[in-house]
Amino acid sequence: MSYLSISNVSKVFGGVVAVEDFNLEVEKGEFISFLGPSGCGKTTTLRMVAGFELPTSGEVLLDDENITYKSPNERNVGMVFQSYALFPNMTVAQNIGFGLQVRKAPADEIKRTVDEMLGLIHLEKHAEKYPYQLSGGQQQRVALARALAIHPRVLLLDEPLSALDAKIRVELRQEIRRIQQKMGITTIYVTHDQEEALSLSDRIVVMSQGRMEQVGAPSEIYNHPTTEFVASFVGQLNLLPVREVDLQNGTCKLNGQLVRFDHSEPRQISDKPRLAIRPEEFQFGQAGDRNVVLGRVEVVMFLGAVVRLRVRIGEALVSVDLFNERNMALPRVGDDVTVNFPAHACWIM
Amino acid sequence: MSSKPNLQHVNTKRDAPQARPALSAWRDWLGVAPFLLFAVLFILLPSLSLFAGSFQDSKGNFTLQNFVDLMDPSILGAYWVTIRISLVTALGGGLLGFMMAYGVTVGGLPRWVRSALSTFSGVASNFAGVPLAFAFITTLGRTGMITVLLKYIGLDLYDKGFSLYSFWGLSLTYMYFQFPLMVLTITPALDGLRREWREAAENLGATPAEYWLKVALPILTPSILGTMILLFGNAFGAYATALSLTGGFINLITILIGSQIKGDVLHNVGLGYALAFGMVVVMAVMMTIYYFLRRRSERWLKQ
Repeated sequence: MSYLSISNVSKVFGGVVAVEDFNLEVEKGEFISFLGPSGCGKTTTLRMVAGFELPTSGEVLLDDENITYKSPNERNVGMVFQSYALFPNMTVAQNIGFGLQVRKAPADEIKRTVDEMLGLIHLEKHAEKYPYQLSGGQQQRVALARALAIHPRVLLLDEPLSALDAKIRVELRQEIRRIQQKMGITTIYVTHDQEEALSLSDRIVVMSQGRMEQVGAPSEIYNHPTTEFVASFVGQLNLLPVREVDLQNGTCKLNGQLVRFDHSEPRQISDKPRLAIRPEEFQFGQAGDRNVVLGRVEVVMFLGAVVRLRVRIGEALVSVDLFNERNMALPRVGDDVTVNFPAHACWIM
Repeated sequence: MSSKPNLQHVNTKRDAPQARPALSAWRDWLGVAPFLLFAVLFILLPSLSLFAGSFQDSKGNFTLQNFVDLMDPSILGAYWVTIRISLVTALGGGLLGFMMAYGVTVGGLPRWVRSALSTFSGVASNFAGVPLAFAFITTLGRTGMITVLLKYIGLDLYDKGFSLYSFWGLSLTYMYFQFPLMVLTITPALDGLRREWREAAENLGATPAEYWLKVALPILTPSILGTMILLFGNAFGAYATALSLTGGFINLITILIGSQIKGDVLHNVGLGYALAFGMVVVMAVMMTIYYFLRRRSERWLKQ
């Protein structure tokens, strides 16, 4: 039996299905991300685990205990909110110690835990400050420490980095992972940022329109998406219309040229079959036994570490990502180019 | 290449001109001129006249007798009744108004209830004086509609000791404009309580009572204190309602001032001025207490 079990959970708000038949087994110490666009039901699912929403059907079991209808203050589940939700009338130390204080913990235990948490988030010098005196990143660290101070059975994070700037987000997400691994705490992390989910998680649950699209390790989600939604939501994906698809031999015609694709996994093929391929799988020029097609450069975007080109191949305009090199000669708009890609990196949808 | 910027041709002692230059100073002040004029004509000059008049006898000679007269037991009693009625109606109206505002904001009553309460509060908070007194006399007076109705079902209010023309009757009447004022001023503060604070508190193990005691009420305290002082001042300065309702039967300081100035048997303008000056002192004391309480309660607010 897994540590946290979310079984057949559905949630309906005024006739609208927000979450539909959600099933997930989470092991102790695991870091799970719920990834999906706004309104896909990820936060609603998280709030049902926290007890802020009750499911319309299904149940939530934590450590073999049915907590589906337990009130939030009886679950011992820590939560970090997108907007920090620090109590403005309390100092950093008082915020962190609040959970222990309402549990009537002895004063020396509260002090010891608060000091320990302040050390964990590297804010020892800010203990007596009020939330308004801290930056957004510092406030979110305090919120994390406050949630951890009660030694929760599960830590829930609801888009905790969304309100922070890019650099702080990267720093803080590494810190969240470090603390989670150090404490070995079972964690559910809600985000719409694929990079966050991919870099932090042991497993990712991709959601769309209230349903689970795919559950798997980050590399599995990225490299072997099972649905078109997952393939296009996680990372960039080119979809090129093809003809004469031969699933048996793994071949099709792209812009009149024969192309081979990965046919090792059984897939649902739509009426209008398309070849799916990630932008980073392309290279320029001829190369061994790789697929080769001709195209014309329409856009060149320099993004720093990556150069993104938009290349017209037949009817389709595809994205091609190249790693930037210091003395790289970039193609120019209007250049005719030959691009190649390996058969194992593309599949039919 | 040097990393230092070349500022040779830049005047570093002068700021760049503003993209949208401010209007000249006198135009800025023009906007508030009506207010300043009003304040001088109807607050400052009358206050100075009042202050000066309180040191004059009926012939215009300097005297301290008016302030000595303030120590008269009947006058001290009038101050005390006025302070008590202001405190009672501020606390009672404040509590009632807070509960109503809570019901339509955090309590989650239907939207139409909030609209109805806001509209009523807007009207009722300004409903005072003779019309209010008349309304209460016709409903809760000795032959008022409600009194008769209750008597009809076996409850005789006046037999039970209630009188509209008593301290508690007047307090009840004042409550009619006090609680709506509380509703109007505290509703935005209650709206400002973030749902996440409550959820975070619950999530950390707090009961609803603990959330209110340790989080919500401390956050609301500056607003509650501000509203309470407003309610106190509102009742403290009320005159027409009390006079119309009780006809001077209750010894309020405002009624006493009126009777000293209006020219009946008690006519003593200097004493009237001194009484009014005493009211200013009482309000100043209340404001000072409020100031310190507020400072203490909002030390966590952004300065």
